[in-house]
Amino acid sequence: MEDRTDGRNANQLRPLGCSRNILNRAHGSARWSQGNTIVLAAVYGPKSGTKKGENPEKASFEVIWKPKTGQIGKQEREYEMILKRTLQSICLVNVHPNTTTSVIVQVVGDDGSLLPCAINASCAALVDAGIPMKHLAVSISCGLMEEGSIILDLTKSEEEKLKAFAYLVFPNSPLSVIDKVHSSKEEPIEHGIITSVSYGAMPVSGYFDCLERGRAASAAISEFLRRSLQKQSSDDASRAAQ
Amino acid sequence: MDVDTGNMTQTNLVDKVVVPGDVVLDLTKMENQTIKLGSGLRQDCDYISVMQAGKLRLSKPNKYWVESSQKRYVPRLEDTVLGIVVEHRSDNFLVDIKAPNLAFLPVLAFEGGTRRNIPKFETGTLIYARVVKANGIMNPELSCTDASGKAAEFGQLKNGYMFETSTGLARMLLSSPTCPVLEALGNKISFETAVGLNGRVWVNASSPDDVILVSNAIMRSEFLSGTQQRIMAEKLLERLQKS
Repeated sequence: MEDRTDGRNANQLRPLGCSRNILNRAHGSARWSQGNTIVLAAVYGPKSGTKKGENPEKASFEVIWKPKTGQIGKQEREYEMILKRTLQSICLVNVHPNTTTSVIVQVVGDDGSLLPCAINASCAALVDAGIPMKHLAVSISCGLMEEGSIILDLTKSEEEKLKAFAYLVFPNSPLSVIDKVHSSKEEPIEHGIITSVSYGAMPVSGYFDCLERGRAASAAISEFLRRSLQKQSSDDASRAAQ
Repeated sequence: MDVDTGNMTQTNLVDKVVVPGDVVLDLTKMENQTIKLGSGLRQDCDYISVMQAGKLRLSKPNKYWVESSQKRYVPRLEDTVLGIVVEHRSDNFLVDIKAPNLAFLPVLAFEGGTRRNIPKFETGTLIYARVVKANGIMNPELSCTDASGKAAEFGQLKNGYMFETSTGLARMLLSSPTCPVLEALGNKISFETAVGLNGRVWVNASSPDDVILVSNAIMRSEFLSGTQQRIMAEKLLERLQKS
Protein backbone atom coordinates (compact mmCIF):
# COMPACT_ATOMS: atom_id res chain seq x y z
CA MET A 1 0.00 0.00 0.00
CA GLU A 2 1.60 3.28 -1.01
CA ASP A 3 1.86 6.13 1.44
CA ARG A 4 -0.53 9.02 1.09
CA THR A 5 1.00 12.41 0.45
CA ASP A 6 0.09 13.77 3.87
CA GLY A 7 1.32 10.74 5.78
CA ARG A 8 -2.06 9.33 6.77
CA ASN A 9 -2.79 5.65 6.55
CA ALA A 10 -5.66 4.32 4.46
CA ASN A 11 -8.35 4.54 7.14
CA GLN A 12 -7.32 7.76 8.80
CA LEU A 13 -9.47 10.86 8.56
CA ARG A 14 -8.16 14.39 8.56
CA PRO A 15 -8.66 16.43 11.74
CA LEU A 16 -12.33 17.40 12.04
CA GLY A 17 -13.54 20.73 13.32
CA CYS A 18 -17.07 21.96 13.94
CA SER A 19 -18.35 25.21 15.40
CA ARG A 20 -21.99 26.29 15.48
CA ASN A 21 -23.88 29.55 15.94
CA ILE A 22 -21.13 31.63 14.40
CA LEU A 23 -23.26 33.98 12.27
CA ASN A 24 -25.37 36.57 14.09
CA ARG A 25 -28.12 37.06 11.56
CA ALA A 26 -28.61 33.50 10.35
CA HIS A 27 -31.12 31.41 12.25
CA GLY A 28 -28.66 28.54 12.31
CA SER A 29 -25.06 28.35 11.18
CA ALA A 30 -22.12 25.98 11.32
CA ARG A 31 -18.56 25.79 10.09
CA TRP A 32 -17.19 22.35 9.33
CA SER A 33 -13.56 21.65 8.49
CA GLN A 34 -11.83 18.47 7.40
CA GLY A 35 -8.15 19.33 7.11
CA ASN A 36 -7.97 22.22 4.65
CA THR A 37 -11.47 21.76 3.28
CA ILE A 38 -13.62 24.28 5.16
CA VAL A 39 -17.30 24.96 4.51
CA LEU A 40 -19.59 27.50 6.16
CA ALA A 41 -23.33 26.74 6.12
CA ALA A 42 -26.13 29.12 7.11
CA VAL A 43 -29.81 28.25 7.54
CA TYR A 44 -32.67 30.72 7.35
CA GLY A 45 -36.17 29.64 8.16
CA PRO A 46 -38.69 28.21 8.14
CA LYS A 47 -40.22 31.11 6.27
CA SER A 48 -43.76 31.33 5.06
CA GLY A 49 -44.69 30.28 1.54
CA THR A 50 -43.28 27.85 -0.99
CA LYS A 51 -41.98 28.28 -4.51
CA LYS A 52 -44.15 27.64 -7.50
CA GLY A 53 -43.20 24.06 -8.31
CA GLU A 54 -43.10 22.74 -4.76
CA ASN A 55 -45.70 20.76 -2.86
CA PRO A 56 -47.46 23.10 -0.40
CA GLU A 57 -48.28 20.24 1.95
CA LYS A 58 -44.63 19.81 2.81
CA ALA A 59 -41.83 22.07 3.93
CA SER A 60 -39.52 22.83 1.02
CA PHE A 61 -35.79 23.41 1.04
CA GLU A 62 -33.78 25.79 -1.05
CA VAL A 63 -30.02 25.38 -1.31
CA ILE A 64 -27.64 28.03 -2.59
CA TRP A 65 -24.05 26.98 -3.15
CA LYS A 66 -21.44 29.71 -3.26
CA PRO A 67 -18.03 28.65 -4.56
CA LYS A 68 -14.84 30.18 -3.24
CA THR A 69 -13.92 31.77 -6.57
CA GLY A 70 -15.33 31.88 -10.04
CA GLN A 71 -18.82 32.02 -11.42
CA ILE A 72 -21.69 29.73 -10.54
CA GLY A 73 -21.92 26.97 -13.10
CA LYS A 74 -23.15 23.45 -13.64
CA GLN A 75 -20.99 21.93 -10.92
CA GLU A 76 -22.54 24.23 -8.32
CA ARG A 77 -26.04 23.42 -9.54
CA GLU A 78 -25.28 19.73 -9.24
CA TYR A 79 -24.04 20.15 -5.67
CA GLU A 80 -27.16 22.17 -4.85
CA MET A 81 -29.41 19.43 -6.16
CA ILE A 82 -27.63 16.65 -4.27
CA LEU A 83 -27.60 18.66 -1.06
CA LYS A 84 -31.28 19.52 -1.41
CA ARG A 85 -32.32 15.91 -1.92
CA THR A 86 -30.18 14.77 1.01
CA LEU A 87 -31.56 17.38 3.38
CA GLN A 88 -35.11 16.71 2.28
CA SER A 89 -34.75 13.08 3.22
CA ILE A 90 -33.38 13.70 6.69
CA CYS A 91 -35.75 16.48 7.73
CA LEU A 92 -39.36 16.01 8.80
CA VAL A 93 -41.24 17.84 6.09
CA ASN A 94 -44.73 17.48 7.55
CA VAL A 95 -44.16 19.51 10.70
CA HIS A 96 -44.25 22.94 9.03
CA PRO A 97 -46.11 22.63 5.73
CA ASN A 98 -46.04 25.46 3.22
CA THR A 99 -42.76 26.90 4.43
CA THR A 100 -39.35 27.30 2.85
CA THR A 101 -36.05 26.77 4.61
CA SER A 102 -33.01 28.24 2.87
CA VAL A 103 -29.58 26.71 3.27
CA ILE A 104 -26.65 28.74 1.99
CA VAL A 105 -23.31 26.97 1.66
CA GLN A 106 -20.14 29.02 1.30
CA VAL A 107 -16.91 27.25 0.38
CA VAL A 108 -14.05 28.71 2.38
CA GLY A 109 -11.36 26.20 1.44
CA ASP A 110 -11.35 23.32 -1.01
CA ASP A 111 -8.85 20.49 -0.59
CA GLY A 112 -10.94 17.52 -1.70
CA SER A 113 -14.08 15.93 -0.17
CA LEU A 114 -15.95 19.19 -0.69
CA LEU A 115 -19.44 17.74 -0.97
CA PRO A 116 -19.17 15.54 2.16
CA CYS A 117 -17.84 18.51 4.11
CA ALA A 118 -20.75 20.64 2.90
CA ILE A 119 -23.30 17.98 3.83
CA ASN A 120 -21.85 17.69 7.34
CA ALA A 121 -21.83 21.47 7.72
CA SER A 122 -25.44 21.81 6.52
CA CYS A 123 -26.61 19.11 8.90
CA ALA A 124 -24.93 20.84 11.84
CA ALA A 125 -26.43 24.17 10.77
CA LEU A 126 -29.92 22.65 10.58
CA VAL A 127 -29.52 21.30 14.11
CA ASP A 128 -28.42 24.76 15.24
CA ALA A 129 -31.53 26.29 13.70
CA GLY A 130 -33.82 23.78 15.38
CA ILE A 131 -35.34 22.40 12.18
CA PRO A 132 -37.13 19.11 13.05
CA MET A 133 -35.15 16.14 11.74
CA LYS A 134 -35.53 12.38 11.72
CA HIS A 135 -31.83 11.78 12.38
CA LEU A 136 -28.49 13.32 11.46
CA ALA A 137 -26.46 12.68 8.33
CA VAL A 138 -22.72 12.02 8.30
CA SER A 139 -20.82 12.04 5.05
CA ILE A 140 -17.47 10.68 3.93
CA SER A 141 -15.49 10.25 0.74
CA CYS A 142 -13.93 6.92 -0.21
CA GLY A 143 -11.50 6.30 -3.03
CA LEU A 144 -10.64 3.05 -4.78
CA MET A 145 -6.97 2.55 -5.59
CA GLU A 146 -5.70 0.49 -8.53
CA GLU A 147 -4.98 -2.62 -6.51
CA GLY A 148 -8.44 -2.56 -4.96
CA SER A 149 -7.62 -1.00 -1.58
CA ILE A 150 -9.78 1.77 -0.16
CA ILE A 151 -8.64 5.11 1.17
CA LEU A 152 -10.86 7.48 3.15
CA ASP A 153 -11.25 11.27 3.24
CA LEU A 154 -9.58 12.17 -0.02
CA THR A 155 -7.57 15.30 -0.62
CA LYS A 156 -7.78 17.17 -3.90
CA SER A 157 -4.60 15.63 -5.32
CA GLU A 158 -5.85 12.13 -4.43
CA GLU A 159 -9.20 12.80 -6.11
CA GLU A 160 -7.45 13.87 -9.28
CA LYS A 161 -5.16 10.84 -9.35
CA LEU A 162 -7.65 8.11 -8.52
CA LYS A 163 -9.55 6.15 -11.10
CA ALA A 164 -12.76 6.07 -9.08
CA PHE A 165 -14.10 7.45 -5.80
CA ALA A 166 -17.45 7.94 -4.11
CA TYR A 167 -19.10 10.34 -1.68
CA LEU A 168 -21.35 8.51 0.77
CA VAL A 169 -23.88 9.81 3.28
CA PHE A 170 -25.07 7.62 6.16
CA PRO A 171 -27.51 8.19 9.02
CA ASN A 172 -25.88 8.73 12.38
CA SER A 173 -25.86 6.13 15.16
CA PRO A 174 -28.61 7.05 17.58
CA LEU A 175 -28.61 6.62 21.35
CA SER A 176 -31.47 4.47 22.35
CA VAL A 177 -33.22 3.24 25.44
CA ILE A 178 -34.49 0.29 23.50
CA ASP A 179 -33.27 -3.11 24.48
CA LYS A 180 -30.68 -4.01 21.88
CA VAL A 181 -31.54 -7.71 22.19
CA HIS A 182 -35.13 -7.21 21.16
CA SER A 183 -34.36 -5.01 18.20
CA SER A 184 -31.61 -7.18 16.77
CA LYS A 185 -34.09 -8.60 14.29
CA GLU A 186 -34.20 -5.31 12.39
CA GLU A 187 -31.26 -3.59 10.80
CA PRO A 188 -29.88 -0.81 12.97
CA ILE A 189 -30.52 2.57 11.44
CA GLU A 190 -26.85 3.32 10.83
CA HIS A 191 -26.73 0.48 8.27
CA GLY A 192 -28.86 2.47 5.87
CA ILE A 193 -27.56 4.87 3.30
CA ILE A 194 -28.93 8.27 2.36
CA THR A 195 -26.91 9.44 -0.64
CA SER A 196 -24.18 8.01 -2.81
CA VAL A 197 -22.36 9.93 -5.55
CA SER A 198 -19.72 8.04 -7.46
CA TYR A 199 -17.15 9.28 -9.95
CA GLY A 200 -15.28 7.06 -12.36
CA ALA A 201 -15.71 3.39 -13.09
CA MET A 202 -15.31 0.85 -10.32
CA PRO A 203 -16.20 -2.85 -10.03
CA VAL A 204 -19.22 -3.77 -7.94
CA SER A 205 -17.05 -5.44 -5.30
CA GLY A 206 -14.99 -2.27 -5.06
CA TYR A 207 -18.15 -0.22 -4.50
CA PHE A 208 -19.33 -2.50 -1.73
CA ASP A 209 -15.89 -2.32 -0.11
CA CYS A 210 -16.17 1.46 -0.19
CA LEU A 211 -19.58 1.24 1.47
CA GLU A 212 -18.28 -0.98 4.23
CA ARG A 213 -15.27 1.16 5.02
CA GLY A 214 -17.24 4.34 4.74
CA ARG A 215 -19.88 3.05 7.11
CA ALA A 216 -17.28 2.09 9.69
CA ALA A 217 -15.68 5.52 9.48
CA SER A 218 -19.02 7.26 9.65
CA ALA A 219 -19.42 5.93 13.17
CA ALA A 220 -16.37 7.98 14.17
CA ILE A 221 -17.73 11.13 12.51
CA SER A 222 -21.13 10.54 14.08
CA GLU A 223 -19.50 10.33 17.51
CA PHE A 224 -17.57 13.55 16.83
CA LEU A 225 -20.76 15.35 15.79
CA ARG A 226 -22.58 14.20 18.92
CA ARG A 227 -19.71 15.32 21.15
CA SER A 228 -19.53 18.72 19.49
CA LEU A 229 -23.29 19.19 19.96
CA GLN A 230 -23.02 18.25 23.63
CA LYS A 231 -19.91 20.29 24.23
CA GLN A 232 -21.40 23.41 22.72
CA SER A 233 -24.40 23.34 24.98
CA SER A 234 -22.25 23.04 28.09
CA ASP A 235 -19.62 25.46 26.75
CA ASP A 236 -22.32 28.08 26.42
CA ALA A 237 -22.98 27.79 30.12
CA SER A 238 -19.36 28.41 31.02
CA ARG A 239 -18.80 31.37 28.73
CA ALA A 240 -18.19 34.17 31.21
CA ALA A 241 -18.82 37.86 30.60
CA GLN A 242 -15.90 40.14 29.87
CA MET B 1 -24.74 1.83 29.69
CA ASP B 2 -25.72 -1.82 29.38
CA VAL B 3 -29.18 -3.11 28.97
CA ASP B 4 -30.09 -6.05 31.13
CA THR B 5 -33.14 -7.98 30.03
CA GLY B 6 -33.44 -9.70 33.37
CA ASN B 7 -33.59 -6.60 35.55
CA MET B 8 -35.39 -4.28 33.13
CA THR B 9 -32.78 -1.52 33.67
CA GLN B 10 -32.61 0.87 30.74
CA THR B 11 -30.33 3.68 29.69
CA ASN B 12 -32.04 6.77 30.93
CA LEU B 13 -31.58 9.81 28.73
CA VAL B 14 -33.42 12.30 30.98
CA ASP B 15 -31.32 15.41 31.67
CA LYS B 16 -28.81 14.41 29.01
CA VAL B 17 -28.15 16.15 25.72
CA VAL B 18 -29.93 14.31 22.90
CA VAL B 19 -29.64 14.71 19.14
CA PRO B 20 -32.26 14.07 16.43
CA GLY B 21 -32.80 10.37 15.96
CA ASP B 22 -32.24 9.30 19.56
CA VAL B 23 -34.96 7.06 20.93
CA VAL B 24 -35.93 8.16 24.40
CA LEU B 25 -38.93 6.04 25.30
CA ASP B 26 -40.07 2.60 24.39
CA LEU B 27 -43.84 2.57 24.53
CA THR B 28 -44.09 -1.21 24.48
CA LYS B 29 -42.56 -1.26 27.97
CA MET B 30 -45.01 1.27 29.36
CA GLU B 31 -48.55 0.05 29.21
CA ASN B 32 -51.62 1.84 30.53
CA GLN B 33 -49.77 5.08 31.06
CA THR B 34 -50.53 8.48 29.64
CA ILE B 35 -47.45 10.34 28.51
CA LYS B 36 -47.44 14.00 27.53
CA LEU B 37 -44.95 15.04 24.89
CA GLY B 38 -43.73 18.60 24.72
CA SER B 39 -41.61 20.27 22.05
CA GLY B 40 -38.87 18.41 20.25
CA LEU B 41 -40.30 14.89 20.57
CA ARG B 42 -42.40 12.86 18.20
CA GLN B 43 -44.03 9.46 18.19
CA ASP B 44 -42.69 6.98 15.68
CA CYS B 45 -44.86 3.82 15.90
CA ASP B 46 -43.83 2.30 19.24
CA TYR B 47 -41.02 4.67 20.08
CA ILE B 48 -40.67 8.27 21.08
CA SER B 49 -37.78 9.82 19.21
CA VAL B 50 -36.10 13.22 19.25
CA MET B 51 -36.68 15.87 16.57
CA GLN B 52 -34.50 18.73 17.87
CA ALA B 53 -31.19 18.68 19.67
CA GLY B 54 -31.26 19.76 23.29
CA LYS B 55 -31.53 18.51 26.85
CA LEU B 56 -34.24 15.98 27.57
CA ARG B 57 -36.36 16.97 30.57
CA LEU B 58 -38.94 15.11 32.56
CA SER B 59 -41.55 16.70 34.77
CA LYS B 60 -43.01 14.02 36.99
CA PRO B 61 -45.18 12.14 36.52
CA ASN B 62 -45.38 11.95 32.78
CA LYS B 63 -44.39 15.06 30.85
CA TYR B 64 -41.32 14.85 28.59
CA TRP B 65 -39.82 17.57 26.44
CA VAL B 66 -36.55 18.68 24.85
CA GLU B 67 -35.21 21.97 26.13
CA SER B 68 -33.44 23.90 23.40
CA SER B 69 -32.85 27.49 22.49
CA GLN B 70 -33.41 28.83 19.00
CA LYS B 71 -33.55 32.14 17.20
CA ARG B 72 -36.94 31.33 15.69
CA TYR B 73 -40.12 30.59 17.60
CA VAL B 74 -42.65 27.76 17.31
CA PRO B 75 -46.05 29.09 18.44
CA ARG B 76 -47.64 27.37 21.43
CA LEU B 77 -51.02 27.97 23.02
CA GLU B 78 -51.14 30.47 25.89
CA ASP B 79 -47.65 31.86 25.26
CA THR B 80 -47.19 35.61 25.63
CA VAL B 81 -45.30 37.10 22.72
CA LEU B 82 -44.12 40.44 21.37
CA GLY B 83 -45.20 40.96 17.79
CA ILE B 84 -44.61 43.65 15.19
CA VAL B 85 -47.54 44.71 13.03
CA VAL B 86 -46.87 44.14 9.36
CA GLU B 87 -50.20 44.89 7.75
CA HIS B 88 -53.76 45.94 8.56
CA ARG B 89 -56.43 43.88 6.86
CA SER B 90 -60.14 44.45 7.20
CA ASP B 91 -60.75 42.12 10.12
CA ASN B 92 -57.32 41.37 11.50
CA PHE B 93 -53.81 42.72 11.83
CA LEU B 94 -50.97 40.63 10.40
CA VAL B 95 -48.29 40.40 13.05
CA ASP B 96 -44.77 39.02 12.78
CA ILE B 97 -43.84 36.89 15.80
CA LYS B 98 -40.66 35.21 14.45
CA ALA B 99 -42.65 32.05 13.62
CA PRO B 100 -42.81 30.20 10.29
CA ASN B 101 -46.11 31.95 9.53
CA LEU B 102 -47.45 35.42 10.16
CA ALA B 103 -49.94 35.64 13.04
CA PHE B 104 -53.42 37.12 12.86
CA LEU B 105 -54.62 39.54 15.54
CA PRO B 106 -58.38 40.13 15.17
CA VAL B 107 -59.28 43.83 15.33
CA LEU B 108 -61.91 43.06 17.94
CA ALA B 109 -59.60 41.11 20.28
CA PHE B 110 -59.13 44.03 22.66
CA GLU B 111 -60.91 44.93 25.86
CA GLY B 112 -64.16 46.63 24.93
CA GLY B 113 -63.39 46.21 21.25
CA THR B 114 -66.20 47.01 18.85
CA ARG B 115 -66.31 47.92 15.19
CA ARG B 116 -66.44 51.57 16.24
CA ASN B 117 -63.18 51.73 18.20
CA ILE B 118 -60.72 49.65 16.21
CA PRO B 119 -57.18 50.57 17.35
CA LYS B 120 -55.06 52.29 14.73
CA PHE B 121 -51.82 50.34 14.62
CA GLU B 122 -49.41 51.39 11.92
CA THR B 123 -46.85 49.06 10.36
CA GLY B 124 -44.03 48.62 12.85
CA THR B 125 -46.10 48.90 16.01
CA LEU B 126 -44.91 46.67 18.85
CA ILE B 127 -47.68 44.62 20.46
CA TYR B 128 -47.69 42.43 23.57
CA ALA B 129 -50.22 39.66 22.97
CA ARG B 130 -51.20 36.13 23.88
CA VAL B 131 -51.36 33.17 21.49
CA VAL B 132 -54.87 31.75 21.36
CA LYS B 133 -54.65 29.41 18.41
CA ALA B 134 -51.55 27.55 17.33
CA ASN B 135 -51.27 24.41 15.28
CA GLY B 136 -48.46 23.68 12.91
CA ILE B 137 -50.44 24.24 9.78
CA MET B 138 -52.56 27.38 10.01
CA ASN B 139 -51.44 30.89 10.82
CA PRO B 140 -51.38 31.38 14.60
CA GLU B 141 -53.93 33.69 16.16
CA LEU B 142 -53.26 36.26 18.87
CA SER B 143 -55.39 38.19 21.29
CA CYS B 144 -54.78 41.31 23.35
CA THR B 145 -57.04 40.25 26.19
CA ASP B 146 -56.58 37.60 28.83
CA ALA B 147 -58.91 34.64 29.20
CA SER B 148 -61.59 36.70 30.94
CA GLY B 149 -61.63 39.50 28.38
CA LYS B 150 -59.70 42.12 30.36
CA ALA B 151 -56.76 44.04 28.91
CA ALA B 152 -54.22 42.87 31.54
CA GLU B 153 -51.18 44.77 30.20
CA PHE B 154 -51.64 43.45 26.66
CA GLY B 155 -51.67 45.86 23.75
CA GLN B 156 -49.30 48.35 22.24
CA LEU B 157 -45.96 49.04 23.93
CA LYS B 158 -45.00 52.68 23.55
CA ASN B 159 -41.50 54.20 23.85
CA GLY B 160 -38.74 52.03 25.23
CA TYR B 161 -36.40 49.79 23.25
CA MET B 162 -36.98 46.31 21.82
CA PHE B 163 -34.23 43.83 21.07
CA GLU B 164 -34.19 40.22 19.91
CA THR B 165 -32.81 37.30 21.86
CA SER B 166 -33.00 33.53 21.68
CA THR B 167 -36.03 31.69 23.03
CA GLY B 168 -33.85 30.16 25.76
CA LEU B 169 -32.91 33.55 27.21
CA ALA B 170 -36.55 34.66 27.12
CA ARG B 171 -37.58 31.58 29.11
CA MET B 172 -34.82 32.22 31.64
CA LEU B 173 -35.95 35.83 32.12
CA LEU B 174 -39.49 34.64 32.80
CA SER B 175 -38.56 31.84 35.17
CA SER B 176 -39.55 31.99 38.82
CA PRO B 177 -37.90 32.76 41.22
CA THR B 178 -36.89 36.02 39.57
CA CYS B 179 -33.94 35.83 37.23
CA PRO B 180 -30.80 37.05 39.09
CA VAL B 181 -29.85 39.69 36.53
CA LEU B 182 -33.30 41.32 36.67
CA GLU B 183 -33.20 41.25 40.45
CA ALA B 184 -29.75 42.79 40.64
CA LEU B 185 -30.70 45.54 38.19
CA GLY B 186 -34.05 46.15 39.84
CA ASN B 187 -32.36 46.87 43.16
CA LYS B 188 -30.70 49.98 41.76
CA ILE B 189 -32.64 51.12 38.67
CA SER B 190 -36.32 51.44 38.13
CA PHE B 191 -37.35 50.10 34.73
CA GLU B 192 -40.17 48.17 33.15
CA THR B 193 -39.73 45.25 30.85
CA ALA B 194 -41.88 42.97 28.69
CA VAL B 195 -40.51 39.58 27.66
CA GLY B 196 -41.96 37.65 24.74
CA LEU B 197 -41.45 33.91 24.66
CA ASN B 198 -40.73 34.30 20.96
CA GLY B 199 -37.35 35.83 21.74
CA ARG B 200 -38.12 39.56 21.93
CA VAL B 201 -37.55 41.77 24.96
CA TRP B 202 -38.78 45.34 25.46
CA VAL B 203 -37.21 47.62 28.07
CA ASN B 204 -38.35 51.07 29.15
CA ALA B 205 -36.85 53.36 31.79
CA SER B 206 -36.86 57.07 32.60
CA SER B 207 -33.48 57.85 31.00
CA PRO B 208 -31.81 56.41 27.87
CA ASP B 209 -28.70 55.53 29.94
CA ASP B 210 -30.77 53.20 32.09
CA VAL B 211 -32.43 51.61 29.06
CA ILE B 212 -29.04 50.89 27.47
CA LEU B 213 -27.61 49.53 30.71
CA VAL B 214 -30.52 47.18 31.33
CA SER B 215 -30.60 45.96 27.71
CA ASN B 216 -26.87 45.26 27.64
CA ALA B 217 -27.01 43.46 30.96
CA ILE B 218 -29.85 41.23 29.77
CA MET B 219 -28.14 40.45 26.45
CA ARG B 220 -24.94 39.45 28.21
CA SER B 221 -26.60 37.25 30.81
CA GLU B 222 -27.60 34.40 28.53
CA PHE B 223 -24.82 31.97 29.31
CA LEU B 224 -23.99 33.03 32.86
CA SER B 225 -24.86 31.33 36.10
CA GLY B 226 -26.82 33.17 38.83
CA THR B 227 -23.80 34.48 40.72
CA GLN B 228 -22.01 35.45 37.52
CA GLN B 229 -25.08 37.43 36.45
CA ARG B 230 -25.16 39.32 39.73
CA ILE B 231 -21.45 40.14 39.48
CA MET B 232 -21.81 41.28 35.87
CA ALA B 233 -24.79 43.49 36.68
CA GLU B 234 -23.00 45.04 39.63
CA LYS B 235 -19.92 45.79 37.53
CA LEU B 236 -22.06 47.55 34.93
CA LEU B 237 -23.87 49.56 37.58
CA GLU B 238 -20.57 50.59 39.17
CA ARG B 239 -19.29 51.79 35.82
CA LEU B 240 -22.17 54.21 35.65
CA GLN B 241 -21.78 55.06 39.33
CA LYS B 242 -25.25 54.05 40.30
CA SER B 243 -24.35 51.93 43.31
